Formats: sequence, structure tokens, C-alpha cells
Amino acid sequence: MHNPVNIRTAPDQHAAVSVVPGHTQPADPPVAEAMSVVDLTKGFRSGLLRRRLRGIEGISFTVKRGEIFALLGHNGAGKTTTINCLLNLCRPDAGRVTLLGKDHADPSARRDVGYLPERPYFFEHLTGWELLRFYGDLLDRPRAGLDTEIATVLARVGMAEASNRRLRKLSKGMLQRLGIAQALLGDPKLLIMDEPMSGLDPMGRRDVRELLRALRAEGCTILLSSHIVPDIEMLADTVAIINQGRVARTCSRDEITARSSYIVHTESPAGGTDQWPGWLQEACPEQAGRALRIAAPDTAELRDILENCHGSSMSVRSVETQRTGLEDLFMAVQEHGGTT
Amino acid sequence: MNPRHILALAHNTYRETVRDRIFYLVAVFGFVMLASTAVLSPLTVGAQAKIMTDVGLAAMVVFGLLVVVFVGSSMVRKEMEKGTIVTILAKPVGRREYLFGKFLGLNMTLTAMLAVMAILFAVMLLFAPGEFSPRFLSAVYLAFLELTLINAVAVFFSTCVSSVLAAVFTLGAFVVGHLSQALREFGRLQSGPLQERLADAVYYLVPNLEVFNVRGAVVHGDPVTAGHLMWATVYGVGWSLILLILAGGVFARKELR
Repeated sequence: MHNPVNIRTAPDQHAAVSVVPGHTQPADPPVAEAMSVVDLTKGFRSGLLRRRLRGIEGISFTVKRGEIFALLGHNGAGKTTTINCLLNLCRPDAGRVTLLGKDHADPSARRDVGYLPERPYFFEHLTGWELLRFYGDLLDRPRAGLDTEIATVLARVGMAEASNRRLRKLSKGMLQRLGIAQALLGDPKLLIMDEPMSGLDPMGRRDVRELLRALRAEGCTILLSSHIVPDIEMLADTVAIINQGRVARTCSRDEITARSSYIVHTESPAGGTDQWPGWLQEACPEQAGRALRIAAPDTAELRDILENCHGSSMSVRSVETQRTGLEDLFMAVQEHGGTT
Repeated sequence: MNPRHILALAHNTYRETVRDRIFYLVAVFGFVMLASTAVLSPLTVGAQAKIMTDVGLAAMVVFGLLVVVFVGSSMVRKEMEKGTIVTILAKPVGRREYLFGKFLGLNMTLTAMLAVMAILFAVMLLFAPGEFSPRFLSAVYLAFLELTLINAVAVFFSTCVSSVLAAVFTLGAFVVGHLSQALREFGRLQSGPLQERLADAVYYLVPNLEVFNVRGAVVHGDPVTAGHLMWATVYGVGWSLILLILAGGVFARKELR
């Protein structure tokens, strides 16, 4: 966000990390994955007859260290229930969850986990600074460096100037930023964010995207949930599409982008069409004056076209994503109600 | 149990009640005391200090009870409904730590309230005609123990039922707690064994709050023995711990969504 400040001092996620000058924590023994979820099941009882309502059923996935893993699903698909089970806020009926190698029911498993809830709501009687001090105590952060750490995270989310205002006087977007700040406090190795763009204006959304990319670059593992396809498409390395409480499909960024198509906007070279390079004639572009639109059905073709444009000294004005692979995949999952 | 977590939660709860202007109740207490002195003085020739002691000690318990009922009963439920609890329990904080921290925080508020009220009360007694009895400190201490126990009752109910029901049950426990001894004696006077057993059950299931009521002794100059203070301390702390352990058991199974 504004005045970005690097929180981590060591990019290696297994090394000792700290935001407090002179203070280091012993490194945890390395584990293969940041999070492992196996057959997670959770139902709810409702009404006088205690009828069982489906929450999630047999959800399994693994989040690799240093990646952004997204849970994508429509409202009510089971994303928040999954996250609540991961953090032991809800007791799963069945299944196993490990966070950074520890069982999720052990409070110490959450020491290196930051969490942003879907609708962050904090104590209105506190100021932003007091709130972060409170959370710092709950995270057992050393008091000596806590103020420095708070100043750092507040600056990172662009809330440094509003830190002494009572929370009841902050806007929804500012509360969301503060929510992100409290999630970043304690230098977490794993961030769990439920709808992190919720309540933010376009600038704020861009800031959060940049922040998440920066955190990934620093080695932080991020699990985020959203029902907004473009946000996930721009950020996620791996996506799990959740439908009716089950993981309907898991796919990597490469799989998603391979299913997308593009239009390259460029300018035609000098001379008539018969004087164009062979590759351009084969591509059969649409022409409007000097402007050309060249279709690329997949990323491999897009790469070739861009290289050819460069080789032919044609300036590329823009590349338009014509059909997003993830959106198609998501819609197909919704329509078929299961795996695709 | 991590003491730093508990203290942070307690301090936050205390700060919340203070910033929610709970101490206006103390101002009301002062006003009630002054008003009662002005009204009762002409009616109580030679017994003004006794009446003030009685009214003052009763007012302390009643105002403390109001704080417990209105703040304590909704303390946990409010955080569950608003969602402030999820960011706390997503940190490495145990549920029992959370509950104990909230309980301790409200007790800090009660302590501060009682301290201010006791000072105000003592100053007024010093200026009133008649004898100032230092025994009132014992009564204040027992009022604190009683409110601590009622606080634990409120925390217990706030983990089980809605805020409104928790307030009603807490108030009910206060009333029955003061009547349980009388109920037991009344049950023994009945001919049927069923009534006697029922009265006994109420007596043992609900804390006997008359243990903490020494207003009569203080007003009439009777001694409050160290043995009674000791017994009341063990009784109050014991009941509070039992209720907090039960509340912790219920809260550990609570679904937060």
C-alpha cells in the first residue's frame, strides 16, 4: 500500500525472521507444506428437529509454501466454513488439518498464522494503535520491539496517519486495512484471508493485490477466499473451486492461463498486405485503418505472436484477455454441479 | 494458561467498560447516597450513620449487580455476535484463557467501582453524626466476593444462552442465592420429604449469597470474625472457579461462525 515497508528481513521462509531489530526467533523445523487439509467435513444442526445442514464434505487440498492458494466459490459454497474449520473456530465433524506442520487444534499452531475475517469487526473503543498492541500481546510479541513492529505494519497498509483515531470513526475501507494490518502483525508465515478485497475501492483493491504479491515474493504463504474471479485470476498460483461444500476442481495458474484466449492490438507494418511478413498474413488479423487485432487462442500462440511482432519491429499497443480460463471453468463447475 | 494473554484480555475488557462510561454509575451512587442522607436524616434521630451504612452497602451491591447483569451477561455473546472474537481466537489464544480474561477484566471494573464507592461512602460516614465503624471494610470486601461470584455466574450463562436469558438467569441466581438458606429452612418445616429435598437441592445447586451479607452485623456493631471472612473467601472463590471451569467446558465446544 502506501509507503511500502518490507516486513521480513530474511526472504527464506525457513530462516529466522523478525521485524524487531536485534530480535530473532528460532526457525521452525521445515515442513513440506504450509497447510494440509484432508477430508474435512462439517455439517450444522438447525431447527427444533436439529436437522443436519450440509456445510462442507470431504474437502482436501494442500497449500505449498510460498504460494497464493485461492478458494473460489459462490456465496454459500463453503469457503468461510472451510476457513473457520482451519482455524478451529468451528469443530470439524471429520478430517485432519495441519498448519505449518502442527495440528490446527493446538493454539500454538496459530502463532505464525495471520487471519483476516470476511467482515473484520474490531473493538470500537480502541484506536488502531491500541488494537494492534492488544493483538501483539496475544501473539506474545516482545514488548521491546512491539511499537516499531506496529508502526511498520500500519505504514505498510497505509494507516499510519489514522492510527490514533478510534475505530468507530474509521470508514469500512480503513477497517479492512486495519484488519490486514492485524493479520500481518507477528510476521506470519501463513496468511489466511477471507474476501480480502471486500469493502475496498478500486485503488484499495489494487493496493491489496500489490501487497499480496509482495508478501508472496517475501516467502509468505497465502490462502485467500473469494467469489470474484478476476481477483483470483490475477493473484493465485493454485485455485480450488468449491461447489456445494466440495472441492470440484483444483487447477494451477498454468492450467488456467492455458485455457484463456487473447487479442493482440498492434499497428500494421508499412506497405500493403501482400508485403506483410508471412506469419502475419497467416494470422489473418482484423484491420481498421492501421490498427490490427490478432487473435491468440492460447498462451503459447500469444507468446509466438508477441515474439513475431518484436521481430518485425511492430509495436504492440495492448493485449486483451478475450476469454478467461478460470471464469469458464468456474461457470462450468456451477452448471454441472461437480467436477469438470 | 498464558498470563500475558489473560492480562491483555482483562485490560481490554476493563478499558471497554471504562470507555463505555460505566463509571457514570458511580456518580449515580454518589447522588443516591447524598439524596438518601438528606431525606433520611430528619427521620433517623441518632441512627443516621446506621441507616447510611445499611443503604450505602446495599447500594454498592445493587450497582455492582447492575454492571454484572448488563455488561457481564452480554460480554461473551456480544463478541460472538459482532465477530470480534474470531480475530482473538485465531491468534494462539486458548478459549479458557479468553473466558478467564473477560471475567478478570470485569472484575477489575468491579474492583475500581467498589473502591471509588467505598471511599465516597467512608468520607460521608466520617462527616455523619454517630460512630464510624471500620467494620464496613469487611462488608465491602464481602460485597466484592459476592459480585465476583455473580460475575462468574454471568460468564457461565453468557456462554450457554442468549444475552437476555443470561441477564435474567444471573438476576435469578442473585435473588435465589439470597433466599436459598431461608428456602432450606422453610423446606425443613414442611411435612413432606419431597419439599425438604427440593429445598436442599436448591440450596446446594445455587450459591448461598447470604454468606456475604454482613450488613446487619456491621450496622448493629456486631463483630465480623476472621473465621467468617476466611470461610466466605473460600466459598466465593471456590464457587467462582467451579462456574468458570464449567463455562470453559461449554465454551470449548462452542461453534464460532
